[in-house]
Order: sequence, then C-alpha cells, then structure tokens
Amino acid sequence: MTSTLNGITLKGSAELVADFFSFGINSILYQRGIYPPETFTRVTHYDMSLQLTTDTKLKNYLTNVVSQLKEWLFECTVQKFVLVITCLETNEVLERWQFDIDCDKSAKESSAPREKSIKSIQQEIRSVIRQITASVTFLPLLETPCAFDLLVYTDKDLMVPDKWEESGPQIIDQSEEVRLRSFTTTIHKVNSVVAYKKTDSV
Amino acid sequence: MDFEDDTTVLTTLKSFNSFISHTDVPQRLSENSAGSGNLQSQYKRSMELLEAAERAQSKNRYLQLDGEKKQMELSHKRARYELEKVASDSARDLEHEVDRNQDLLGRLKKFEERETEAAKNLSEQVEATRALRKSMEGLNRKLEERDTRLNTANQTISSLKDEIRELKQRIQNQDSTISSQTLENQELQEQLDLQRRKHQEVSQLCQTLQAAQSSCLEHMIKIKELERRLALQEQDIAIVKTVKSEVAKVPDLEKDLKRLRDDNVFLRESRENCSLLKEEVKGLRRKLERMEKKTEELVNIELEKERLVEKLKAWENLGQSTGLNIRKPEDLSREVIHIQQREIALKEQNYTLNSRLRSAERTQNEHRAELAQQRSKTLEEQKKREMQESLVRRLQKRVLLLTKERDGMRAILESYDSELAPTEYSPQLSRRLREAEDILQKTQSHNVEMEAQLMKAQEETGTLKLQLQTVELELEALKMHQASSADSNTSETKEEVNILRQKIEDLESERQRLEEQNNILEMRLERHNLQGDYDPFKTRVLHFKMNPTTVAKQERQQDVEALREEVTRLSELVRSLQEGGAMVQGDCSINASGFGLSLPPSKEVVDLRKQMESLELKIQRLKEVFQRKIQEFRTVCYVLTGYQIDITTENQYRLTSVFAEHMDDSLLFKKGSNGSMQLMETEFSRTLGEMVALHLHHQKSIPAFLSAVTLDLFSRQTTI
Repeated sequence: MTSTLNGITLKGSAELVADFFSFGINSILYQRGIYPPETFTRVTHYDMSLQLTTDTKLKNYLTNVVSQLKEWLFECTVQKFVLVITCLETNEVLERWQFDIDCDKSAKESSAPREKSIKSIQQEIRSVIRQITASVTFLPLLETPCAFDLLVYTDKDLMVPDKWEESGPQIIDQSEEVRLRSFTTTIHKVNSVVAYKKTDSV
Repeated sequence: MDFEDDTTVLTTLKSFNSFISHTDVPQRLSENSAGSGNLQSQYKRSMELLEAAERAQSKNRYLQLDGEKKQMELSHKRARYELEKVASDSARDLEHEVDRNQDLLGRLKKFEERETEAAKNLSEQVEATRALRKSMEGLNRKLEERDTRLNTANQTISSLKDEIRELKQRIQNQDSTISSQTLENQELQEQLDLQRRKHQEVSQLCQTLQAAQSSCLEHMIKIKELERRLALQEQDIAIVKTVKSEVAKVPDLEKDLKRLRDDNVFLRESRENCSLLKEEVKGLRRKLERMEKKTEELVNIELEKERLVEKLKAWENLGQSTGLNIRKPEDLSREVIHIQQREIALKEQNYTLNSRLRSAERTQNEHRAELAQQRSKTLEEQKKREMQESLVRRLQKRVLLLTKERDGMRAILESYDSELAPTEYSPQLSRRLREAEDILQKTQSHNVEMEAQLMKAQEETGTLKLQLQTVELELEALKMHQASSADSNTSETKEEVNILRQKIEDLESERQRLEEQNNILEMRLERHNLQGDYDPFKTRVLHFKMNPTTVAKQERQQDVEALREEVTRLSELVRSLQEGGAMVQGDCSINASGFGLSLPPSKEVVDLRKQMESLELKIQRLKEVFQRKIQEFRTVCYVLTGYQIDITTENQYRLTSVFAEHMDDSLLFKKGSNGSMQLMETEFSRTLGEMVALHLHHQKSIPAFLSAVTLDLFSRQTTI
C-alpha cells in the first residue's frame, strides 16, 4: 500500500478496492460452489480467513481482470463491476453480484491524501465480505453446473483494450434484489447488491 | 612297623638259634661218617671253625644289631615325630574341643534359659490345666445335670412310648374301622356307579326324547308348511279355475286385442298427427305473439306518427310564424348549422373579447405596477426635492454667513490696513485677501451650481409630475374602459374565472399525478439500476473476451458437436447394419430394428466378424482333417479286413471284398431300427447259401460269415 496510515491517495484507494474485488470474487466463487471447494486454499487477510483459488486458469483470468480494473479505478472511469453467474444448460443468468462504484473524480486533480485510516476501511470491507458469506443462507441453491463472468461498466469515452469486448448487461429476468453493505475509501464508494432469479416456489 | 621290626629281630634270633642247633647235628654226622682218627684234629679244627664262625656270626650279629639299632633309632625317631605330630593334632583337637565345649556351654546356658522359660510355661500351663480342670468340673456338673435330665427325658420317652403304643393300638383300631369304611365306601361307589349308569341311561333317554321333540317340532313345522302349501294350492286351484275361466275368455280377448291393436295403430297415427298439430299450434302461437307485438308496435308507431305529425305541424307553424323557410328537416338542419356557425362566430368574438379583456387586464396590471412605480418615483422625487430645498436653504444660509464673514473679514482687513503699516503686511494680507476672494468665488460658483442643480431637480419633478398626471389620466381611462368592459362582461369573466380556476385545479391535479408518476419512474429506474440496467449513451459494458463462461460454453458446444457427429456416425452404422442384416437374414434385421437403440459398438462388430472368420477357417480345417482321417480309416479297414464298406443309402452298407471275382460282387447289410444288422439279398449272396445257413442262421455271427466268405474267395483266387 502506498498510502500512509492516516490518509489515502487515489492510487492507494484503487489498489484497496481492486484487492477487495479480488477477495470478494474468490469468496463468492467459493461460497456459491462455482468451482469445487478443494481447489481453494485458506488465506488470512483483513484479519479474517478467506478462500483463494489455486486453479491456475482462474487465477490468470482474475489477475488480468483485476489489474485492468485497477487502472480504470485509478482513472475513475468505472461505474459498476458485476459478477454474473449463468446456468450452462439453459444459458440463463441466475445471479448478479453488482458493485456500484462512485468515483470522486475531483481526486484526480488534487493529489492531497484523504483523511481516512486504512484500518477503518478494512473494517468496512470485512463487514461487506462477511455479508457476502452470510448471503448464501437466503440465496437459492445452484443445482445446475454454472459458470461466471465479470462485467465492468465504464464510461463511454473509454478506449476498449485488447482482449476486452463489449457485452450485454446480462440482466436477470424476474429478479429479486438484496442490498448489501457498502464501504468507502472517500475516493471510491462501493455499494454492493446481489440480484437472483426468483424461484417458482416463492 | 615297629612290631614287624621287632618280629624280624626275633625271627633272626630264632633262626640263629635254630641254625646253631642244626649245625651241631650234621657235624656230628660228618664226623661219624669221615673216621675216628682225625676226629680229634678235625674236632679241634671244627671247633676253631666253629669259633671263627661264631665270631663271624657274632660280628654279623653285631652288624645286624647295629643296623637294627639304627633302624630302631630311625623308627624311634619316626615314631617320635609321628607322636609329635599326633600330639600337635591332639592339641589342635583339644583346642577344637575346648571351643566346642565353650559353644556347648553357651548352648547349655541357652538351654537353661529355655528351661526356665519352659518351666514358666509349665507353671502357666499348670495353671491353665487347673483352670481347665475347674471348667471340666463345671462341665462334669453340667453333664451330670444333663444326665439327670436325660434320665427324666428317658422316663418321659418311656412314658411317651407307652402312649405311642396306645396310640398305635388306637390307630390299628382305626385302621380296622377305616378298612371297614373303605369296604362300605366301595359298596357305595358300586352303588354310585350303578346310579350313574342309570343316570346316563336316563340322560340318553332324555336326549332321545329331546331329539324326538325337536323332530316333532320339525314335523309340526313341516305340517304347517304343508298346510300352508295346501292352502296355497287351494288358492292356486281357485286361481287355476279362474284362469281356466279366463282362458275360455281368451278368444274373445284375442279379438279384443286385435281390435285394440288396430285402435293402437290408429291412436299412434293420431298421436303423431297430434304432435304435428301441437308443433303447428306452437308455431302459430309464436306467430300470434309476434303479430300481437307487431300490432302493439303498430299502435305505438301510429301514436308516434300522430305525435310527429303534430310536431311537424308545430314546426311548420313555427316556420310560418318565424318566417323561416322550414319545411323539411334539411332546412332545419341547415338552419341549425347556420345557428351553430353563428354561435361559433359569436364564440370566436367572445374569445377575442376575452383575450382582449385579458390583454387589457394584463396592461392594466402593468399600468398599475407602473403607476405604483411612478408613485414611488414621485415620492422619491418629492423627497429629493424636499432634500434639495432644504439643501438650498442651508446653502443660502451659508451664503449669508459667508457674506457676513467676508464683510467681517473685510472690516477686519480694513482695520488692519488702517492700523498697520502697509509695507509690513501688505503682501501677506493681499495674499490672504486673494485667497479669501478665491474661496468666495468658489463658493459663489458652487452656489450657482447648486442653484442650477436645484433648478434641474425642480424641472425633473415637474416633468415627473406631468408624467404622473398623464399616467393617472391613462389609468383613469383604463379604469373607465375596464369598468365599461367589466360591466358588460362580468358574468362572462366570472365564468371564465371559474373555468380558469378549474383549469388550474386540473393542472394541479395533473401535476400531482405527474409527480407521482415521476416518483414511480424514479423507483423503477432505481430498481433497474439495481438489476444492472444502464444508460447506453453514457456507459458501456465490457468484459474479458476469454472469460470462464464463454470458455465453458465453447467447451460445451464442442462436446455437443462431437456427440452429434458420433450420433450421426452411429446412426449410419446402424442403418448399414440393418440393411446388411436384412440381406443376410430376416430375423437378424428384426433383431437389429428391435435393438436399434442399444447399438453394439462398431469395434465389437468387427471383433465378432473376425471371430466368425477364424471359426469358419477352423471348421474348414477340421473338415479337411476329418476327410483325411476318414479316408485313412477306410483304407486301413479295407487293408485289414479285406472289405470296402460304402454307404449306399441311409442305414444300408455295401461290403465289397478285396478278393471278389467280379466288381459287382458285394454284400448288402441293412441296419435295423434296434441296431441289428441284416443281410440283404444280392446276386452274390445268393451264391453263398451254405455259408449264410451255417454262419448267420446257425451261428448268428456276421464277422464269422464275413471271414468265411473272405477265406472262400481267397482260396478260389489262389487255386486259380
């Protein structure tokens, strides 16, 4: 972390948020059983034990996406970051973990660090990840084999880099939404929402 | 040893003595034998010899004794030594004995102690024995008591025995009585048995009686039933009689029946007619109802017509009275259109007037506002004017003061001039004077400016007042105009106001509705935002090209394609198999179509084919081998037995001998159903009548017959 203990810079904020996404995606993939649990190992971060994947393909993909996302966070051009879980048999979107990102673009001009300790930010992040873990209790069970995708909502004027392409929003037909906690680094504010397909029984 | 040594000494002594005695005798003998002449000399010589011998002997003896003495000494020494040894041994033994004695003494002491202890024990035991004796005495006493008791008990026992004897006697008596009673009892039991038998008989009788009664009851019931039947039969008989009488009536009834049938036919026809008629009636009724309705309608129409005629007349009258040329509804409509057009024109006029009114009101409002402004302005101007007036007054006062001052100063100056020498202060004074004059001039110019300003202000106020007046005039005019217009259009304006209010209300409500809609839409927008919707003009959604979903989908697609290819391949294979199977075997094709779903893999089929080919090859080889073996067997049989065996037809074997005279000479055998062989008649067999009779009929052996035949043929050939 480049930021000091008492303040936070744009770069530090981008790194913090990207780190959060990396861990958040890993724990969602673990909790929702998209990848088998034996391909995960236990790691301690944010003063809590988290699951990290050991699947090399998945690791590569995640590092690619997260590093690109970090750049965009630094440029304050990201609006949303979405993890979409689709059923492979029916190509139907079953779950959407949406992270709305409010960027304070004024941080780009003034490089003065903001007054917020990393500890308190990490506390907030911890509670968000806990809630993600806890949300497994109310989400419907994924019975079919599923795969996931990561969407990034960016500003329109952004150059699309190589290996990236435009995609649809992959909205769930007849969804139920639950708002989760949010956290802020005072530069990036991240609101979390999980939307899932309504089951017939409800 | 010592004794032995002593004995040797003794023996030597003895032997010496004996020797001496012996020598005397022979010498005498020799003297006796040799002659008497020399006896003396010889005697002397012998005596001398004897003496010498004796000396030698004594010397020897001495030497011997010396040796013996030495020996004795030695033995003595030895003995002494041994004695010393023995003494030392005995001393040692003594010491041992002394030690032992001491030990024994110690032991003795111990024994003494023990003895004392034993004595003590003994005394104790004596005491114990005394105590035991006492107890013994007590026990003896007790025993005596017991003896006495025993005696008493014996006495009692004897008395009891007496009693027992008595009791036994009694028992015997009782036994006798019991035996007598048992006898009685037996008698009674016999009687009881008799009674029981009787009872049984009686009960049997009772049972038979009951059975009889029940049978009697059954009989009674039967009798009743029979009676009832009889009654029924009587009734039946009566019925039969009536029936008979009715049967007599039957021809009549048949006639009636015919008649009735006819009637029935007729009635059926009439019923059909009736139904037709009813339908007709219904149709007619409906028609009638319709007609009635129509008549009612007709009446109504007529009434309406009259009403309309009246109306028409009224209209015509109206047309005549109004002078309008209304004869027809078209005219009326035309007129109405005219009126409407007029109305529209009027409305338009109204609207224009209203708009004018509104514009006038607006202008009025504007004028009012202007008026208010003007008034405020005038007020301001007035205030200004007043201020300026006051200013002017102040300035005038100042001017007065200044003139006074000037005058004062001048007076002072003059006084100075007069008083002081003009040379000393003249320049100073003149300068001051000039300054004062300058100031004066300035003040005067200022005064003039102020006056000019005042004038200007006054003029302005005047113009403003004029403006005000004109405005007021205009206002009055407008008011007049408004009043006039208001007078004429008060009601309209009110209505308009109402309409406008309504409109305002409507607009308000619409606004509220729109606000609600807006809220709802915002909510929806929020929801859409939550669901992941976005503004495509501002945002674009990106994702990594090779994301896990697309990868997984591609893999799936590939799998599906591969599976499809396999399916098509397999279906082709199945088809080909089915066709092939149909060509080869009908059943096989049926099976293949039956198992169309569970196709065997192509590999298996290939394997099976290979197996089949190998099996066929094997069979071929086996056939070849068999043929070779059979040929070999036949040749061997031919060579060994001399017969070639052929199978002409089934179960018929032809035997041709090696030695046959002709090629056609052969024997035919037939195998019977039970396995026995029979000789068939051939030309050759006919020539072998004897052999057949001998070997087949008599010996019943085919091999013998055959060998006889071979021998015969062989002999014939060799003889030839």
